[in-house]
Amino acid sequence: MRVLWNLLVANLKQFVRERAALFWSFAFPIIFILIFGAVFSGTNDISFSVGLVMKDDSPPAQTLSEVLQQVPAFELNIGNEDSELQALKDGDRGAVIVVSSDFGEVISRGGKGSIDVYYDPTKSASQQILLPIIRRVLDEFDRMIGQTPSLVQLNEKTLQTREIRAIDYLVPGVLAMALMQLGLFAAELLVTERENKVLKRLGATPLRRSTLIVSTVVFRLLIALGQAALIIVVAMLVFDVPMLGNWFFLAGMVILGTLAFLAMGYMVSAFVKTQEAVMPLLMAIQFPMMFLSGIFFPVEFMPGFMRPIMEAIPLTYLGDSLRQIMVESSALHAHWINIGVLSGWFVVSLGIAVRFFRWE
Amino acid sequence: MNIIIEVKNLCKTYGDIKAVNDVSFAVEQGEIFGMLGPNGAGKTTTMEIVEGLRTADSGSVLVVGMDIMKRPRRIKASIGVQLQTTSLYPRLTVREVLDLFGSFFPKSLPADELIELVKLEDSRNKLCKNLSGGQQQRLSVALALVNDPRILFFDEPTAGLDPQARHNIWDVIKLAQKKGKTIFFTTHYMEEAERLCDRVAIIDYGKIIATDSPDKLIHHHFTEEAIEFQLDQPTDVDVLRKLAGVTNVVVENGKVTVYSNSVPVTIAALLEMAKQSGMKLNDLYVRRATLEDVFLKLTGRRIRD
Repeated sequence: MRVLWNLLVANLKQFVRERAALFWSFAFPIIFILIFGAVFSGTNDISFSVGLVMKDDSPPAQTLSEVLQQVPAFELNIGNEDSELQALKDGDRGAVIVVSSDFGEVISRGGKGSIDVYYDPTKSASQQILLPIIRRVLDEFDRMIGQTPSLVQLNEKTLQTREIRAIDYLVPGVLAMALMQLGLFAAELLVTERENKVLKRLGATPLRRSTLIVSTVVFRLLIALGQAALIIVVAMLVFDVPMLGNWFFLAGMVILGTLAFLAMGYMVSAFVKTQEAVMPLLMAIQFPMMFLSGIFFPVEFMPGFMRPIMEAIPLTYLGDSLRQIMVESSALHAHWINIGVLSGWFVVSLGIAVRFFRWE
Repeated sequence: MNIIIEVKNLCKTYGDIKAVNDVSFAVEQGEIFGMLGPNGAGKTTTMEIVEGLRTADSGSVLVVGMDIMKRPRRIKASIGVQLQTTSLYPRLTVREVLDLFGSFFPKSLPADELIELVKLEDSRNKLCKNLSGGQQQRLSVALALVNDPRILFFDEPTAGLDPQARHNIWDVIKLAQKKGKTIFFTTHYMEEAERLCDRVAIIDYGKIIATDSPDKLIHHHFTEEAIEFQLDQPTDVDVLRKLAGVTNVVVENGKVTVYSNSVPVTIAALLEMAKQSGMKLNDLYVRRATLEDVFLKLTGRRIRD
C-alpha cells in the first residue's frame, strides 16, 4: 500500500509539473466548451435583417408593412430598391421584400397584389427559415384583409419535458471526449516508458508489476473524476447547463468509460513499438470516434451508411449515457445496453492487451 | 573465496541468433568483474539474465546462493542495477526519485547519503529532465545503490560520457568495492576493463573466449610489447616480419603494429630498414600489450570494428 501511494503521488507530481498534460486534460475541454458554447448560443434568439421597399403607400400596403414589422424574427429596414438590393448583395440582408407600386390598387379591384422577395439561394438560412416565415406572414395578411376568421388554432407543444439546447447536448459529449483521450493516451506514456527502458529499470526492483499497473489506473481515474467535475462546474456556471441525474451514477459511468478507453490504450501499446508510431495511431483511432459517435451533434445528422460504424464505437455509448444522466436527453440506448457495450470493450481490449503486451 | 554469482551453461537464442552460447563463469564476492566485448556480443543479454530481467533458454544462474528463476524478488532486493535509461521520471526531482525507488525495497539508504556519494549535492532539487548527461548517469548509479545492495550491476556505465564524467563513475565503482560490494559490469572500452577489473571475461559472438585478470590475460598471450607507427606507403609485411625480435605484424589502414619480444633490437632493425628504403615512420611509439591486443589475437578483429 505504501508503494502504491508513493507511485500515485509520483504520478500526480509528474502530471502537475507537465504543462502540456495539464492543458490537454483540463484546459482543452474547457476551451472547447467555451468556443462551441459561444457559437451555438447565438442560435437561440434568431433574428434576420430583412429589407422592405415600399413602392406603394395605399392602406393595404401600410397594413402589410405593419404586419411585417411585428414579426419578432425580423429586423426590418425600410429603404429604396437600389440600396436594399445592394445591401442584400453585400450580405447585410437575409432577404429583401419589394411591394409593387400597384399593390393597393390591384387589391382594391379584387385582384392579387404582387410582392417580390429577393434572397440568396446559396444561403440555406434564407431558404429554410426566411421564406416560410414570409409565407406565413402573407397568409396572416390575407386573413386580415379578407376578414376570414381562422378556423383552427395551432398549439405547439414539444414532446420532451425539457428543451435540450445545443450546449446541453455538447457538454456531456466533451466530457466523453476528454475521458476517451485520457484513456487512449495512456498508451503513449506506456510505449515511451518501455522504449526508454523505464519499465525494465522498474522490473529490476522488487516492485510488483500489479502494483505498478494499479497505481497508473488509479491515477488516471482520479484525473478523470477531476476532469468531469471541472467540466460540469464550468458548464453550469457559464452556460447554465444542468446536472439533473444522480452524481454517483455519473461518477460510475465516468469510471467505467475511462476503464474501457484505458484498456483500449493498453491494447494499442501491445502492438506499437515506438513513440513515433504511437501518436499517429492514436489520432487515427480518436478522430473517427470523435466525429462518428454523435457526441457533438445528434446522430440523425449522419448519413445512413455511417450508422453501423457509429453503433460499433464505444464513445457513442459513453456519450449517450452521460447525456442521459446530465441533461435527460432522449436515449439512444437504455443505460444497461451502454454499460454492457462499454464493459464488453473493456474486457475484450484488456484480454488482447494482456495476451500481446510485452514489457520490453 | 566466496562465489557470489555462479553461471553455468547459459544459452539464449533469438530467432536463429545464439545471443548467449553456453556461457559459464563465476564472480567472487568483493571483486570487480568485467565483461568485455564488442556491441552485440551478448554482454547485455547475459547480464540481464543474471539480473532476472530475462529468462534463459537453458543453463543455471545462482545469485547470492539462490536460483534466479525461483527467487527473483528476493534476489532483486539484494542487487542494484544500473541501466542506460535516459530519464525515469523526468518531472521528479533527484531527491524524489531516490525516495520513490527506496520505497520499492525492504530496506534503503537515505537519499541525502546517496546524493553525496555520487556528488549531486547541487542538483538534489533539480528535475531529472534538467540534468546533464553526466548527472543523469550519476543519478542512475545512485539509484543502483539505493537498497545498499550486495552486488552492483553496471551495463556500459560510461558509454557516451566525457572523460571527466567517466572518471567520476570509475571512482564511484571503486568506492563501492571498498565498501565491500561486488561489481559486475559490461563494457566495450578496453581501458575501462584494464583499469577497473579484478577479473575480466572476454566475450564474442555469445561465447566467453577468455577469463582472467587483465594482467594475466595480457601476459599469458603476450610476452612481447607493441611498436606502432604510421606508414605513408604500402609495405611488404613479410619484410617486417623478418626483422629481429618480431613475433607478429598487423597492418590496418596504414597503421602498423609490430609485436616484439626484444624492443631495442627490433627498433634498431626498423630504423635501419627505414634509413635504407627512405620510408618515414610517423607517430612511432612503444607500448606494452593491452586487452585490445589480446582480443585481436584471439578473434582476429578489433573490438570496435
